[in-house]
Order: sequence, then C-alpha cells, then structure tokens
Amino acid sequence: MKITRNNISDAAKKCLIEAGTTYRRDQFSAYAKAIEAESSGNARWVLEQIVENARIAEREQLPLCDDTGIPHVIAHIGDACILPAGWLSALQDGIAQGLRDMPGRPMAVRGNAVQRVEQSRGLFDDPGALEVAPVLVRPVKGSQFKLTVLLLGGGPEIRARTRRVFHRRSIGNVVDQAAAWISEEIGSLGCTPATIAVGIGRSQVEASALMLEAMTEGSLDVQNELERRITDAVNQSRVGPLGLGGATTALGCFLKIGPTRASGVRIVCARPCCLVEPRRASTVLDSTQP
Amino acid sequence: MLRLETPIRIEQIEDLKIGDQVEISGRILCGRDAVLPKLVALLRKKDPLIEKIGLEGAVIFHTAVSPAGIGPTTSNKLEIEDSIPELSAAGVRLHLGKGSLGAETVASLKIHRSVFAVTPPVTALFSHRMLSKQIIAFEEEGMEALFEIQVERLPAIIAAAHGRNIFEK
Repeated sequence: MKITRNNISDAAKKCLIEAGTTYRRDQFSAYAKAIEAESSGNARWVLEQIVENARIAEREQLPLCDDTGIPHVIAHIGDACILPAGWLSALQDGIAQGLRDMPGRPMAVRGNAVQRVEQSRGLFDDPGALEVAPVLVRPVKGSQFKLTVLLLGGGPEIRARTRRVFHRRSIGNVVDQAAAWISEEIGSLGCTPATIAVGIGRSQVEASALMLEAMTEGSLDVQNELERRITDAVNQSRVGPLGLGGATTALGCFLKIGPTRASGVRIVCARPCCLVEPRRASTVLDSTQP
Repeated sequence: MLRLETPIRIEQIEDLKIGDQVEISGRILCGRDAVLPKLVALLRKKDPLIEKIGLEGAVIFHTAVSPAGIGPTTSNKLEIEDSIPELSAAGVRLHLGKGSLGAETVASLKIHRSVFAVTPPVTALFSHRMLSKQIIAFEEEGMEALFEIQVERLPAIIAAAHGRNIFEK
C-alpha cells in the first residue's frame, strides 16, 4: 500500500493526542506498585490522584497536564520504505492539527528572534502554531515508517543536564554521575515521581538524541541493572511524590548508550521526566502492506 | 479528607495543619507570574477593581487557564511568591500551587492567617471538576489573565500553615 501525505498527517495527529492524553500500561503498573510500596499516607494519596487523573484523561480524551509540552518526533524509516514527497510537512501539519484538536496549551511565542526571547509580543492563540522540534530520523530495515511523538514539558527541560563525565574506565562512574545530577535537581521538579531518561554518546547533540530515544523505547516493566542503579540512587533522596517525602521519587529509568569516542570522557544527557512523562505514542505505516 | 467551601473563614484556617488533605469547592481565582504582580499593584493603589474581584476568603490557584485546562505552576517563582504576603493581608486565605515556599513567606502566612496548599498537576481531573471559567481582570494577558473558576472538590494538601512548612527537612 502506498503511504500518502494524508496517512502521515492523520497518524501524526492521532499519536500526538494519544501521547498527551494516555498513560501506557507500564505506567499504570508502575504506579500501582508504588502505591502499594508507600507507607506515607500523603505520598500514597498523591499517587492515587495521579492515577485517577490518567483514568479520566484516557476516558474523556483530556490532556494529562496543562503543560501539554513541545512536540518531538522520531521517525524510524525502513530502507525499503517509499515515502511521498512532502512527508515531513505532512507530518508537521498532523502535529499542528493534533495540538488544535487535543487541545494543546497555546505556547508559541510571537515576534522576531529577540522578541521571542524576551517574549515581548505575546503568544499565538493557535495551539497549532507551536513548531515541532527538529525531527530525529533513524534508519531501520524493511518497508515500514514508524512514527513516535513525544511531548516534553517545561519543568523537566529546565532541570535536565548535558555534560561531560570522566568515565575512568567504569560505567558505574558514568551512571552514578547522572544519578547525582538528577538527585540534585529532583527536589525542585515538584512533579514527582519522575522517570529518569539518560543518553550517553559522543557529542551534546548525540547524547540528547539518545536520551530522546531512551524515552521512546523504554518500559517501566523492563529495567536493566544500570537503570535500577540510577533509580535506586535517586529514590534515596526521599523527595517523594510532589516533594512531600516518601519512597517513590523515581518510578524507573530509561537508559540508552550509543557509540563512544576514543576518549576519557563521555557526554551524558540526563532528564528527570515528570509524573506524566514520557508522554509518547507510536504508529507504524507500511508501504507494502495491502 | 476535609471539605473547604469558598469563601474560607479565618476560623477554618485556624483548624488546618500541614499534611491535611482537603477538597476545595466554590469560587477560585487563577493567576500566575504575569498577573499576580499586577493584582498587588492594584492593591497598593487601592483600586476599586479590588472590591469587584473580591479577595476576602479567596483561594488563589497559581495556574494559567488555557484550552488545555489548569495545573499548578511552581509557586516559588519570584513574581508569585512575592505576591503572597500582600494578597494574604488583603484577605486571600489559601494559596494553591506547588513547590516549597521560603521561610519569610511561610511566616507571613502565619501573620495574615492564611495557608499554602499544593496539588499535583492532575489537569484532566481538574477539568472534570471545573464547572465554569471566566476572565475577571487583565484580559490582555490571555491564558495568564486573572480568571475566576467554579470548582467542585479540587484536591490539595496543606503545605504551609501556622509557621510550619511540610517541605522542611
């Protein structure tokens, strides 16, 4: 089957709305475990409110959070996949329509470069005026086009870090540093419990892209030893849900390690995703499927 | 779970303590960084609009009101936290947001018999419990204008009351 511009727009719109309104099963399951594990009444109450919010959001297709986030898109494109001319603009059109339909919070800033920085000319009323962040494209085998939409909120963004770490020939040194950064920031996030996303790569851009991929692929149901190590370290802070104290500061961690440079340093991007994140949804279009 | 109906009376504030889970119903004002300093400026010049807005017994929720809904922003942002003492003195009984407030602000809440409560960003749940919304001042600020909303059972936890702060280690 030929993939059309309309298919792509429609898929992007649906993914955006799903990402902004729906928890994944692994999120529900992680919250259920956290509620069971919390001994603090207020921590448990906060977690229960979060789950109730997610149930209402899914049932009534309402935004999970009023900060509906900046749309980030990852496109996995098969080497035998045929895409129509203008596929990227079709994707952007779908994202814009999704923001209008969900609806997203109107967050696009008016004006020229300086005016945008100073926010001196106000905001666009149209939620769809919010530009998509640069699209990350990854090659895969086959004829499929997999589209993933992530919605990244402001609170986690201002508390994320991308910096160099001297590895000293130990992965433990690298992940412990990432956990230490997150532990320093997590108390000011407010919207805990978090899911920690970490990318390790060769450059600032690559580490950030790997962090984004970690958010795309990770599952709270499947945590490896390094991910558990980071989660456990952050949970020792006892910041707890909403910063009120408790055992659950982080629900889990999504870690992605990319290629490395012949060097004594690694570039690490670590982001404390907030209690509704990672907000993500994917769909697959196939250019051969009848 | 304690039920609070607005306007909130001083006697109700006296009974609240940190860690109390509450549900707030009635009229709530919504404003954040952009509009709260403007509201304080109106207070300082004794603008008649203050009477119309009605601050005695009020709850102020630190949120924008957008088509996406409502949700708490961090209350220790400079423009928001700075507004709390004067708004409390003018009759605001409950400030609702998230994050910890400074010791001076917590002390001022005690002086003016007001409290601070926090709530998670449960926007869908809030939308479900919001009965109406309207702009009542500073329309030029768009979603950050001063809004009045009517709510039913908005959940929160008392985080600062009578000089105590739940976030203090």
